[in-house]
Amino acid sequence: MLVPVFTLKLNHKINPRMVTIGKYDGTHPNLTAATTAGKVVFIHNPHSRTLSGGRASELSLDSDISLLSINKSVSSVAAGSLDPVGVNDMLMVGTQTDLLAYDVQNNTDAFYKEAPDGVNAIVIGTLGTINSRLAICGGNCALQGFDIEGNDMFWTVTGDNVCSLALCDFAGEGMSELIVGSEDYDIRVFREDEIIAEMTETEAITALCPMTTSRFGYALANGTVGVYDKSSRYWRIKSKNQAVSIHSFDLNGDGVDELITGWTNGKIDARSDRTGEVVFKDNMSSSIAGIVEGDYRADGNTELICCSVEGEVKGFLPATQELKGNLMDVNIDQEKVREMSQRKQNLLLELKNYEENAKAAATDRPSGLGDLDKGKMGIIPANTQLQTSLSVNVDSEGKGPHVDLFVSTTNNTILRAVLIFAEGIFEGESHVVHPNQNQLTNELHVPIIPPKDVPVDLHIKAFVGHKSSNQFHVFELTRQLPRFSMYSPCSDQVPEPKSSVTFTVNERVQRIVMWINQHFLLNNELTCDGDLNAGFMSLRGSGPLFIQMKSGGQVTVRTDDMDLAGDIVQAIASFLGLDELQVTADFPLHMEELKGILVKVDDFHEVRQKLTAEMADHSNLIRSLVVRAEDARLMGDMRNMRRGYMELYDLNRDLINGYKIRCNNHQELLSCLKQVNQMIQKAGNLRVGKFKTQVVSQCRQAIKDNNVSALLKIIKTGSS
Amino acid sequence: MDLNLTRVDYLQVGVTSPRTMRLLPEKKAKVPQKVAVADQSGILQCFNIKKGETQMSFKTLPGNKITRLELGGAVGSPADKIFIASGSEVKGYSKKGKQFLGYDTNLTESIKTMWVSGSHLFLGGNYIFNHYVDCKDEDYYLCSDRINDMLCLPLSRIQEVTPVLACQDRVLRVLDKSNLLYELEVAGPPQSLALFADEGGEDGSEVLYGTTDGKIGLVHLDRTSPSHRWEVPNEKRLGGVLCLDNYDMSDDGVPDLVVGRDDGTIEIYGYDDADEPTLRYSTSLSESVSSLQGGVVACQGYNEVVACTYAGWIQGLTTEPQQKKAGPGEMVPLGADAQNKLGTLKTEIDSLQARVLQEREKYHFAAMNDKAISAVPHFDVNDKFTLNRDDASYTLSIEVKAAIDNVLLQSDVPIDLLDTEKNSAVVSYSASDTDQSGNFLLATYRCQANTTRLELKIRSIEGQYGTLQAYITPRLQPKSCQVRQYQIKPLSLHQRTHVLDDSRPMNTLKLTGQFSLAEIHSWVCFCLPEIPERTPPGDTINFYFLSTFLDTQLDCVYKKGEGTFRSDNISTISILKDVLTKEATRRKINLNISYDLQDNSIPDTLQRIHPKLEYQLLLAKKVQLIDALKELQIHEGGDLDFMSPEYRQILEESEKLQEEYKKQPCHLERLYGMITDLFIDKFKFKGTNVKTKVPQLLEVLDNYELQNLIEFFNSGGS
Repeated sequence: MLVPVFTLKLNHKINPRMVTIGKYDGTHPNLTAATTAGKVVFIHNPHSRTLSGGRASELSLDSDISLLSINKSVSSVAAGSLDPVGVNDMLMVGTQTDLLAYDVQNNTDAFYKEAPDGVNAIVIGTLGTINSRLAICGGNCALQGFDIEGNDMFWTVTGDNVCSLALCDFAGEGMSELIVGSEDYDIRVFREDEIIAEMTETEAITALCPMTTSRFGYALANGTVGVYDKSSRYWRIKSKNQAVSIHSFDLNGDGVDELITGWTNGKIDARSDRTGEVVFKDNMSSSIAGIVEGDYRADGNTELICCSVEGEVKGFLPATQELKGNLMDVNIDQEKVREMSQRKQNLLLELKNYEENAKAAATDRPSGLGDLDKGKMGIIPANTQLQTSLSVNVDSEGKGPHVDLFVSTTNNTILRAVLIFAEGIFEGESHVVHPNQNQLTNELHVPIIPPKDVPVDLHIKAFVGHKSSNQFHVFELTRQLPRFSMYSPCSDQVPEPKSSVTFTVNERVQRIVMWINQHFLLNNELTCDGDLNAGFMSLRGSGPLFIQMKSGGQVTVRTDDMDLAGDIVQAIASFLGLDELQVTADFPLHMEELKGILVKVDDFHEVRQKLTAEMADHSNLIRSLVVRAEDARLMGDMRNMRRGYMELYDLNRDLINGYKIRCNNHQELLSCLKQVNQMIQKAGNLRVGKFKTQVVSQCRQAIKDNNVSALLKIIKTGSS
Repeated sequence: MDLNLTRVDYLQVGVTSPRTMRLLPEKKAKVPQKVAVADQSGILQCFNIKKGETQMSFKTLPGNKITRLELGGAVGSPADKIFIASGSEVKGYSKKGKQFLGYDTNLTESIKTMWVSGSHLFLGGNYIFNHYVDCKDEDYYLCSDRINDMLCLPLSRIQEVTPVLACQDRVLRVLDKSNLLYELEVAGPPQSLALFADEGGEDGSEVLYGTTDGKIGLVHLDRTSPSHRWEVPNEKRLGGVLCLDNYDMSDDGVPDLVVGRDDGTIEIYGYDDADEPTLRYSTSLSESVSSLQGGVVACQGYNEVVACTYAGWIQGLTTEPQQKKAGPGEMVPLGADAQNKLGTLKTEIDSLQARVLQEREKYHFAAMNDKAISAVPHFDVNDKFTLNRDDASYTLSIEVKAAIDNVLLQSDVPIDLLDTEKNSAVVSYSASDTDQSGNFLLATYRCQANTTRLELKIRSIEGQYGTLQAYITPRLQPKSCQVRQYQIKPLSLHQRTHVLDDSRPMNTLKLTGQFSLAEIHSWVCFCLPEIPERTPPGDTINFYFLSTFLDTQLDCVYKKGEGTFRSDNISTISILKDVLTKEATRRKINLNISYDLQDNSIPDTLQRIHPKLEYQLLLAKKVQLIDALKELQIHEGGDLDFMSPEYRQILEESEKLQEEYKKQPCHLERLYGMITDLFIDKFKFKGTNVKTKVPQLLEVLDNYELQNLIEFFNSGGS
């Protein structure tokens, strides 16, 4: 049994996910974490006490803890070395508005950068071929990398708010790629600023960690934890608790890292990277805040260090040879025997089911099934089958447009309930239809409204029996919902959308027809001779969609929804196996909107400057008022003193109001910036391969230069 | 002293009923004993363990479900005869497996409990109790509520035959021949009984009981004056007690108390200087423990507790160290015998697999045939739906022999599902339109692999009644699911009690009309939990109830043609009135309803709620302050001298406060709800609708002051 080698009580609360460890003096690791107040970072420094003055203040002489006031709510912390030699680690603290790089050893700020996109996650290391080590921050749809001097060395956009980051040699070429998990359920892999892989998950990705070679672990907000090898998933498990922190560490000493997970209920477990099998588990009394590794006892061994939100710390050493990988106090043989007995038991039970079934079949039954079914065990004809069909339902019975799953049995048995397990399309992981007792029939309609255009496997379980049964047969089957299921065919009469994407592919029209048949939910297969013009209407209300193709290979996708256009381009490109694709995009409405947003951004910037100036004025005024009022008090002039303080009070109120306005202004600015970033991302998504990267980097340049016309041109044509 | 026990698996038999496993006595102490176990497939088997291998002594053929196994023997000789009860039959086997008794009692109810002592045989059905001497009928007693367990005080020490019945209505009934000697109320519905220590303590009249809500107690049952000795509350909210035993695990000369519960917990209690029990050891098997006993089974000289679970696993918790042969964690610590065991298991599984494949094919082939049918037999479900007094919520536990795949919960009344730490299943709620399908709750629990037991917590609202259904699907081919139904009664949060506080002002509801006793009993049974379904004997029936949430009381007295209900809580009366009239109208029976309301009952009830409400408000306030105070603490560098003592105390107790707050979620909201109901109901009886005044009432509650609240109730918010 593996037991912790040390436990500590830090007497400070720790914010979840905000724990790191750094060798700030180059040798001794210090545990660093943001505390609950959200404004302070504390550094646990058991080995040396050299800090004094500056930002850090030592709590008291006999304490190992130094506090660092940030005076803003901290959103992420990370420690790592930015200089190429990499001796002294630097502490990076991210808030919603800026990034601070702090040199703990010398107690100075290394650099301070405004980050209007916020800093949700920080990772430190080298990326691709960029020479210097970078601190890469992920914020509102944007990724930014800074070198040791605070120079902006790397910038790109991603689909939504970034939740998690990791550096990992994804492609196995000896260079690190950046893995980004975001709120739109996507894991994207960036080789510098080019996306080389994109995996869709079922929830926001809350944590990522690199593992051995090209593997990496991930955790989702819905309690899923798993491991990817390159872009294919190795395994995953789901718990009702959420994983707070994941880390890779070789705990059982077999030379391969395990995935260590810290959960909200205080559980820590280590799982084999290959199978997900639990090799070790332990418990803390409260939720885990973070898991790191370091040589915390300064004896040359690296420990796994787990911290809970209540400030409890446990350190584990990797298992020694004697334990032979058996970290839990279990008798393996006994477990094996138990498992096999369980299997035997299950087989016996199954056998018994068949025997009883045969017995029931052999009984004479002159009056049909009814008599035999006294026990209400739900006897059904053996040839009962479950039939399902999927169709698009534009609008019926006021349920709104939806995809209709129709389930029925082939005889007069009834469907008591239908359970559908599917990921990402329901609120939870399942949807149930359970009709009223007196409305039971042999068919059921299940409306499904997938919120996103993703292909989904529907695992259907149907309870089949009779009205009075208390036991039902469970029919299980799986249907796939095609990617673009929320679109119904429509005629050419519908006015064509104003926007379009045009590109040329070197393929026959039939190939595109085939693609449409596979990815849309059609009652009749689409056939086409000559030029293709397929019209669809979105059930989500984003207007019509036309896919047109001339025999020359020119494809036009007409829709006012830029996201949808991007999705279709990407789907066609991957279907046709295209590595690169340049398009001409014509989105007049979006361009107008973008122009408007850019104007608004300028306005907001202006307002902010004005407000900042006002605030400076006010603070000067406050200073003089305080001096005046205090003077009056010392002189015993109570009337003036009171007047002074009254004015101060009014001023204070003004300041608070000003602050509120500034906050709102900032919020608006943030949302505008997010829209701009998203627009760039969408524009990129209309292209494939290097053209995609090109659009993103050129757009960025245009925004830096404040060149709106160039920006619009890039979005339209793909280059300036 | 702490015990260090390791778990060993011995054998798996079929699904077992509670108390169907015993260890046969040996003449010499500490010599390995034989285990006798009977399961629901009707098989009785007896085995012993030799060098880790099970050796079967005998095994009977399958038959009717066996509900109880007891040991007995002639007076003076060791009790090594095995008695089993199945249906209305009792069978006796010698320890060699020879049947020496087969006695059909011709009882109308099947036997639930049994006790054997010399030539005396005591049997209990659902409601009836019978006493036989040499298989001749001696005594008979009809009980007014279900008999859960039964024993007889040791005849060797007490001359008179004194049977003790543990009844569902929270009493122990002590009999003298066919007559009731007295009733003794205990802490909860008693579920299992055992004689204390050796043969019932000092004078043979000390009896241990365990309740369905997890409490354990010791009572002294004198023939004239019974008394309570001690009681262990169930603070950790463990499962109900299914079996009790006394065995000296620690070899200190004093028998320890061994307890098995339906959530799989096994506990061992020792006794301190004041003879009060103290917990020494606790562990959890994943399945409910149906029977257990202390003894020596695997290895001479090593004490152990042998437990049998619902799914039929027989396991030992032994004091014998398991790792003596190899270093810690050695991969193959056991020698050839373990390998052998694995080998035989493997071949068994392989041949079974082949047979199953064959059968599966046959089954699928049958699907081609138009005339064939598919009939999957019922699987056994061990489920329980009980009210917890501590937090006024229901616990639903479901246990199946095979692993559970998923459970679908459906309810036609609004209820809340609470998260419990004990289950690891992933829950997901499904939206449903209530109007069309009548579903207020649709939720699926997808269980993790190897989950055979699932426990859920449910909170109901009084006045809203209906049915909760659970569709249980185990991981077993061919897949089938079973529906279980649980009634949510109109007064779901009431609990039976046996004392009534007469000093409280009581509101009265009186019903008269042309109805029989059975009819009104069925109505009352429809409204209130913990009442026997069958009409109790006698002309007039009287039940007392206590609200687990508000501690208000209800007194029901009814007979043919007349029913009187008295409660200090006007909402209770209002709910009863609504439901009873509805039920009577449904059966087309004319009812005359009259009520007598005491105006001073309202302030009295409010006064009763007052301490709870005040405490909850204060707790909520304190918990709210904790974070802010902690932040101050950090900013001020840990020096707390500047704070008022009140705040310092909050900081010191922060963990305790938070835990308590977490333990009773929404308690305050529920109290608010009850007070609002009280307000509406009071004026409903007066014929005015005051629903528009509710926001005002909530305002009064937010700035709570008892006097203001009472005034608001008096004035009706105007």
